[in-house]
Amino acid sequence: MDLTPATALPKLLAAAWLLPLASFVVILFVGKRLGPHGKWAGYVAVGAIVSAFLLSCVAMFVVWLPNHELPVTHHGEHHEEGDEHDDAPADDDHQHGTAAILQDSPLTARAGHDSPFQLAAFQEGEAHADEHAAEAGHAANPPPTYYFGDWYSLGQFGNLKLTIGYYIDALTVTMFCMVTLIASCVHIYALGYMHDELHDPYHDHEVIVHGHHLSRPGRFHRFFQYLSLFCFSMLGIVIAGNVAMVFVFWELVGICSYFLIGFYFERHSASTAANKAFIVNRVGDFGMLIGMMALWASLGTFAFGDKQDAKGQTVLTESGAIAEPGIFSQLRTAENGYRLVPPASMIAEERRHQPALEANEETLSHTHGHWLLLVAGVGIFCGCVGKSAQFPLHVWLPDAMEGPTPVSALVHSATMVAAGVYLVGRFYPAFCPEALLVIAIIGCITLSLAATIAITATDIKRVLAYSTVSQLGYMMLALGLGGWIAGLFHLITHAFFKSLLFMCSGSVIHAVHTNDMTEMGGLRKKMPITAYTMLIGCLAIIGAGVPLTPIGFSGYFSKDSIIEQAWSHAQTNGGVYWVFLAMAVIGASMTAFYMFRLWFMTFTGAPRDHHKYDHAHESPRVMTGPLVLLAIFAIAVAWPAFRLTGLLEQAQPVGTAAGGSGMLIEDLVVPAEHLSHAPDIKLRAGLAAFSSAFIGVFGAAVVYLWGYLNPKEIKQTFKPIYTLLWNKWYFDQLYNVLFIRPALFIGRQIAAFDRGVIDWFLHSCAWTVRLFSMVFDVVFDRTLVDGTVNTAANWTWDFGLLLRRFQTGSLRQYVLFIVMGTWFMCLAYFAAAFVLMS
Amino acid sequence: MNLSDPIIYLSLMVFLPALGALALAFFPRGKEEAVRYTTLGITILTFMLSLGLFFDARGVEFKTGVADMQDMFSAPWIPTFGIQYLMGLDGISFPLVVLTTFLSILSFIASWSITKHVKAFCILFLLLETGMIGVFMALDFFLFYVLWEVMLLPMYFLIGVWGGPRKEYAAIKFFLYTLVGSVLMLIAILMLYFNSDLTLLNPQQLVHAGVVKVEANGPRSTPESAFAEWVESEDDALAKRFREIKAETDPAKKRQLHTFNILALQHIGQHEDSPFNREAWLGKSIQWWAFILLFIGFAIKVPSVPLHTWLPDAHVEAPTPISMILAGVLLKMGGYGILRICYPICPAAGYDLAYIVCLVGVVSMVWGAFAALAQNDFKRMVAYSSVSHMGYVVLGLGVWSLGMWSATTPGSFTYNADYWKMGVNGAMFQMIAHGISSAGMFFCVGVLYDRVHHRNLNEFGGIMARMPVYSGFAIVIFFAGLGLPGLCGFIGEVFVVLSVWKYSQLLAIISAAVVILTAAYILWAIQRVYLGAEYKGPHGEALTPMLPREFVIAVPLTVMAIVLGVYPQALLNYMQPSVDQQVQQLADWTERFDASREALKKSLGEEEEQVALAVPASLPATPAALKTSIESSARPAQ
Repeated sequence: MDLTPATALPKLLAAAWLLPLASFVVILFVGKRLGPHGKWAGYVAVGAIVSAFLLSCVAMFVVWLPNHELPVTHHGEHHEEGDEHDDAPADDDHQHGTAAILQDSPLTARAGHDSPFQLAAFQEGEAHADEHAAEAGHAANPPPTYYFGDWYSLGQFGNLKLTIGYYIDALTVTMFCMVTLIASCVHIYALGYMHDELHDPYHDHEVIVHGHHLSRPGRFHRFFQYLSLFCFSMLGIVIAGNVAMVFVFWELVGICSYFLIGFYFERHSASTAANKAFIVNRVGDFGMLIGMMALWASLGTFAFGDKQDAKGQTVLTESGAIAEPGIFSQLRTAENGYRLVPPASMIAEERRHQPALEANEETLSHTHGHWLLLVAGVGIFCGCVGKSAQFPLHVWLPDAMEGPTPVSALVHSATMVAAGVYLVGRFYPAFCPEALLVIAIIGCITLSLAATIAITATDIKRVLAYSTVSQLGYMMLALGLGGWIAGLFHLITHAFFKSLLFMCSGSVIHAVHTNDMTEMGGLRKKMPITAYTMLIGCLAIIGAGVPLTPIGFSGYFSKDSIIEQAWSHAQTNGGVYWVFLAMAVIGASMTAFYMFRLWFMTFTGAPRDHHKYDHAHESPRVMTGPLVLLAIFAIAVAWPAFRLTGLLEQAQPVGTAAGGSGMLIEDLVVPAEHLSHAPDIKLRAGLAAFSSAFIGVFGAAVVYLWGYLNPKEIKQTFKPIYTLLWNKWYFDQLYNVLFIRPALFIGRQIAAFDRGVIDWFLHSCAWTVRLFSMVFDVVFDRTLVDGTVNTAANWTWDFGLLLRRFQTGSLRQYVLFIVMGTWFMCLAYFAAAFVLMS
Repeated sequence: MNLSDPIIYLSLMVFLPALGALALAFFPRGKEEAVRYTTLGITILTFMLSLGLFFDARGVEFKTGVADMQDMFSAPWIPTFGIQYLMGLDGISFPLVVLTTFLSILSFIASWSITKHVKAFCILFLLLETGMIGVFMALDFFLFYVLWEVMLLPMYFLIGVWGGPRKEYAAIKFFLYTLVGSVLMLIAILMLYFNSDLTLLNPQQLVHAGVVKVEANGPRSTPESAFAEWVESEDDALAKRFREIKAETDPAKKRQLHTFNILALQHIGQHEDSPFNREAWLGKSIQWWAFILLFIGFAIKVPSVPLHTWLPDAHVEAPTPISMILAGVLLKMGGYGILRICYPICPAAGYDLAYIVCLVGVVSMVWGAFAALAQNDFKRMVAYSSVSHMGYVVLGLGVWSLGMWSATTPGSFTYNADYWKMGVNGAMFQMIAHGISSAGMFFCVGVLYDRVHHRNLNEFGGIMARMPVYSGFAIVIFFAGLGLPGLCGFIGEVFVVLSVWKYSQLLAIISAAVVILTAAYILWAIQRVYLGAEYKGPHGEALTPMLPREFVIAVPLTVMAIVLGVYPQALLNYMQPSVDQQVQQLADWTERFDASREALKKSLGEEEEQVALAVPASLPATPAALKTSIESSARPAQ
C-alpha cells in the first residue's frame, strides 16, 4: 500500500469521514429492522465510528508521524519546564543546547522540513521594518506542511470555484483522532444510556398527554442515525479545504444538533431549545456569510491552501508564482515575509471607486484593505461566536441540554461547539490584529459571564454547559491574544475532560433520574467509578498540577499556557490590556469554585433526597468503560511525553508565530507566542493559576464540603447579584424584547400592510373602476347613447302616429291626395327645369 | 413526418397535452377513472419526450456544453408581420421545460383526490401544460405572448372552479393582475417590434437568430455563404424584403424590417446603433420604457413586492396540485422572462436600472420572510416563503457586478464577469430548486389538508408521531426551502448572495440577513405542525399514514432536492454554458458601451469637466444620472 502522505492521507481521512455517513444511510433505511427494536443500529453506528477512529489512528501514527518529524526545538508550552527540571521523558539533552534558538525558532525549526512550499522563503530577515519591539528581528514562519486538493466542484464561474475538497495538516489529523475517539466513547456510552429507548412503548415521564405519561415507540435507532450524521458533518468541518465547505458542514452540524436537541420532540421545551439553537446559530452564520462575501469579492477564492499536484507539491506557474493561491498565500505572501498585507485586489475591493488620477498620500496609505480584512475576520468570527456559544450568542447552549446527555457530551461540549474555536484556529492567518482583539474581548466577556452564571446554577448539566461556554471563552481569549497553540491545545484537552464530565453527569442522571443537584448528595458511595472519574475531570478542568513542574492533569498544561499568553500580552501592551489577564485568572478561580461545588454537592455529604439515593446505582460497564478511558486521557493527554504541542506546532499557520501589530489601532501588538515562555512569565503565571484554582477549590470546600458557610445565607446576603445570576443576566428576556418581539411585530405589520394597504389600494382601484363603469353606464350608455337612440325611435314612432291619421280608408280622400301629389310633382318638375334652363 | 425533425418533436412536446385535451373532450360522461389515467398517461408521455432530449432521441438531442439554441426550428405563421412559429431550447429554457413536465406528472398525481368535474379539470390541466411548455420554448415574441395568454385562462378556471371558499375572489385577482402584466408586455412588444430592424444584423447574427439556416455541409456551411444564398433566394418572402430594404440607398426612403424574433431582437438591442436607443418619452429611450413595462409584467408573475398580493390569495384558494404548478412553474416564467427578454433586449436600460431590480429583489426577500413569520395559515406561510425565495432570483438576475477599478493604476478598469455569471447562474439554479422545494412544500400542506381540512398552524402538532414517514419527507423538503446545505435550496441562495457583495455591499448584507428570518419561520412552522406531543386540531382520527400515491409524489421531490443539493453540476452542466454566454455578451456590450461613453466624454472636451469628474464615483452604482447627462450633452454634438 502506498503510504506517502499526499496520496494516503486524503484517502484514509475521507474513508474515516464517510463511514459515519454510510452508517447514517443504513440506519435511515433499515434501522428499525436491525435487531429487536433496532438494537443493532447502535452497533452499526459504533462500528462505523470506531473504524473511523482506527483509520484516523493509521493516518496519524502510520502516515503522518513517520513522515513528518516533530519540531526538534521546542518552544512549546511546557517543554521548557522540562528543560529546567530535566524530568520530562521526551526531552533530550540537546534542547539545552538549542535554547538560544528559542528566540527565532519557528523558522529555524522548520527550515529543513519537507514543506510543500518550496519557495525561497525567508530571505527577508531584514524586511521586517516593524518598529514594534515584540516583532523586531523575527521573520515569520512559512506555511506548515499540508496536503490540499479538491474532490469535486459545486460550481465554477470563470476563475471562481466553489469546491468540496480537503486541507490536511497536523491539526486536521489531530482533530480527526480527537473527534473520532471521543465520538467512539460517546457512542459506546450511549448504547447503555439510551437503553430505555429500546423499550416499546417508551414512557416519557416529562410529557403528559390526556393526564397520562406519553407512551411512544422507542427511537433507539434514530438516535444513532443522527449521531452518525453528526460525526460525518463534524469531520467534514475538520477536513474541509475551503471556507465554503466549512460553511456547508457548519450548517449540517447545526441541523444535526437541532435534531439531537429536539430528540424528545414531544417535549415543548426540547423543540423550542432546538429551534433556538439553530436560529441563534444562523445569526452567527449571517455574520459568517458577510465575512465570506468580503473574502470572495476581494480574493476570489475560499481555499485554505494552494493548488497542489498529486505529490503534494504546490503547483507553480512558469514564472514561479503560485498557480492558484489560497486565502492565506494571498494574504501572507513570501515576498512580504509572511506578514499580513492586504493584496491589491482587496484594496481595490475596499476602495471600489476609481483611484484619484494623481497617486496622493491617501492612495498609498498602509491602512488600505485593512477595513475589509477586519470585516472578513470579524465576519468569520461571528460564525464562530454562534457555533461556540460566545457572548452575545451564548444563550442557546444551556438550553441545548434538553438533548440526551451523550449528545451534550459529544456535540455540545467536545466537538461541535469546539468547531468555532477550530475555525478561528484554521482561519488564523487571515485575522488582522484588530480582529484578534475583537476575538479576545468576546472571549474574555464570555469566560467571565458564563462562569458567574455557572456558580448559581443547580441543574448539573447546565453547570457543565456554562462551564463549557466559559472554557470556550478561554480558548477564544487565548487565540485572540496570539496564543494559537495555547488555544488549540486547550481545545483538545478540554474536549477530553469535558466529555468525561458530561458523561459522568449522565451517569449520575441515569442513576437518580434528576438533573437537580439539590436532590443529590453522597452519591460517592453508591457510584464510586462515576464519582472518581468525575473528580479527575474536575481536577483536569481546574488545571490541577504541581506548579513549575511538568506534573499535572491535562488542563494544567493548557490553561497555564493561556494565562502565560495573557500575561505576555498584557506585559507587551500594558494599560487596559491587563484586564484580559485579570479575567483569565479570576475566571480560573470561578471555574475551580463551581466545578468543586458541583462535585461536592453531588457526591459528598449526606443525601438530600433519600428516595433517589436509595435507587441510585453504579452504571453498567458499557457506560463506565468509556468514563475510565476518557479519564485516562483527561489526565495524560497533555503530558509533555506525548508531545501534543509539538504536533500542533507543526500546523502553526503561516506567519502567525511571530505575532503582529495593529494597523487601524496603531499601538496594538500581538506578541509572538514563544515570548510567553520566558521564565519570569512562566513563574508568575504558573503561581497565579495555581493560587486562583486553589482559592476556588478552597471556597467550594468551605461552603459545600465542610459547611462552614451556609449557601442559603450567602444567597440572602447577595440577593440582587444572586437574582441576576440565577436569571442568567436576563439575556433571554432581553433578546425577547429586543429581537423576537420586534421581528414578530414587524412581520405582523408587513402582513397587515399587504392586506390593509396594498390590497386596500387594489380593492379601491377595483371599486373605482366599477364606480366609473356604473357612472359611465348611466351617463353615457343609458342617457346619451340610449337616450339618442330612444329619442330617435320616439320621433319615428310619433311620426308614424302622425302619418296614421292620414290613413282614413276614404277613397275620395286618397284620390284627392293622388291628384294633389301629381300636381305638385309636375309643378316641381317645371320649376326645376326652369331653374336649370336659366 | 418523423420525430427526428425538431419541428415535429418539439411541437409534439408542446401540443401533445392540448391534443390530449381535445381527445378528452370526446370522452363519454362518467368514465372518470379513464379520464384520469389518460391524462396521467399524456403527462407521462410528455415527460418522456422531454427526457428523450437528454439522449440522442431520434436525432433530436439536447447536448451539454452547448451555449447556443439547440433544436431550433421556424415556420412562417403570419408572414405579413414577420410572425413565425419559432421555437428552440437552450440551457436557460431546457431545465425549465423538464421541470414543467416533471412537476406536471407529480401535481396530476396529487390531483387524484379531486372529484368535481373531473373531465373539465383534466382538460384545463392539459391546456395549462401546453401553455407552460410553449412559453419556455417560444422564441417568437408574438408566439410567446399568445402562449402566455393560453396559460393564463386555464389557471383562472382551475382556481375559480376547484378552489376554496374565496375562489372567485382569488381567481379574478390572479387573472386581473396577470392580465395587467400581459397588457404592459404587449405594449412593450409592439414598441420593440415597430422599432426593430432585422437588416442591422450581420450574417452570423442572422444565423444565430434562426433567420438564416446553416447546413452541416454543402454550399451553406458557413454563415456568410448561407446568408449569401438566402438573401438571393426568390421563394423566401423575408429574404426578398431584406434584399429590397438593403438595396435602398436613399436614407429618406429607407424602411425597417420589423421582427418578432426574440433572438434577433436581442442582437438588435445589443447593437451599437440600436434603434431602441431613440428617445421615446420624458428623455428616456424606447428600451428604457420597454424594460420598465416588461419588468413590471414579469415582476407581477415572479411575484415581487409590491405586486405580490395575488399570490397568497391564489395559493390559499387553489387546490393542492394547482398550487404546486403555480409555485413550481408559473412563478418561474417571470424570472425566465427577465432573463430571456428584459436584459438581452434592453441592455442599456438594464444597466441603468440594475440597482432598482436588485432592490426589488432584496425587498421581496425581506418582505416575504417577515410576512411568512406572521402567518397562521400554513399555505399562506408557504406562499410568502415563495415571495421571499423568488426575491433571490430577481436579485441574482439583477446583479451587474463587473470587475473593478485597479487599486494602483488610475483609470484602469478590469472587466470580469465571473461574479455576474455566478449571480445569474445562482438565480437560475434557485428557480429550479424553488420549483422543487416549493412544489414539495405545497404538496406537504395538501397532504395534511386532505386529511383534516384545515390549515391553521396553531391547531396542528404531533404529526411526527402520527405520520412519521410523511413527516420525514416534509422535514427534508422544508429544510430544502430553508436553504440547508446538501439540499437544493442552499446552492442557489449561496451563489446569489456571494455574488451580490461585488455589486452592492448594502444589498448583500441585507440579503444575507434573510437566512435568519428564513430559519425562523420554517423552524417555527415545523415545530408547530410536526413536533409536539399531540395533535391539537379537529379530525384527529383522519391522520392516517401516507398513501402510496402520496409516496410516489414525495419520493421524486425529495430525491431531486438531495441530488441537486449535493451535486449541483448535474444541473449546471446543462444550464451554465447558455447563461454564461448571455452574461458574457452583456458584459462585452457593457464594455463597448462604457468605451463609447468614455470616447464621447473625451470628445466633449473640457467644458464638460464636471460630468467627467462625476464618472468615477458613480459608475457602478448610479449610471442613470450620468447617462442622461451625457446623452443630453451628446445630442447637440451629433
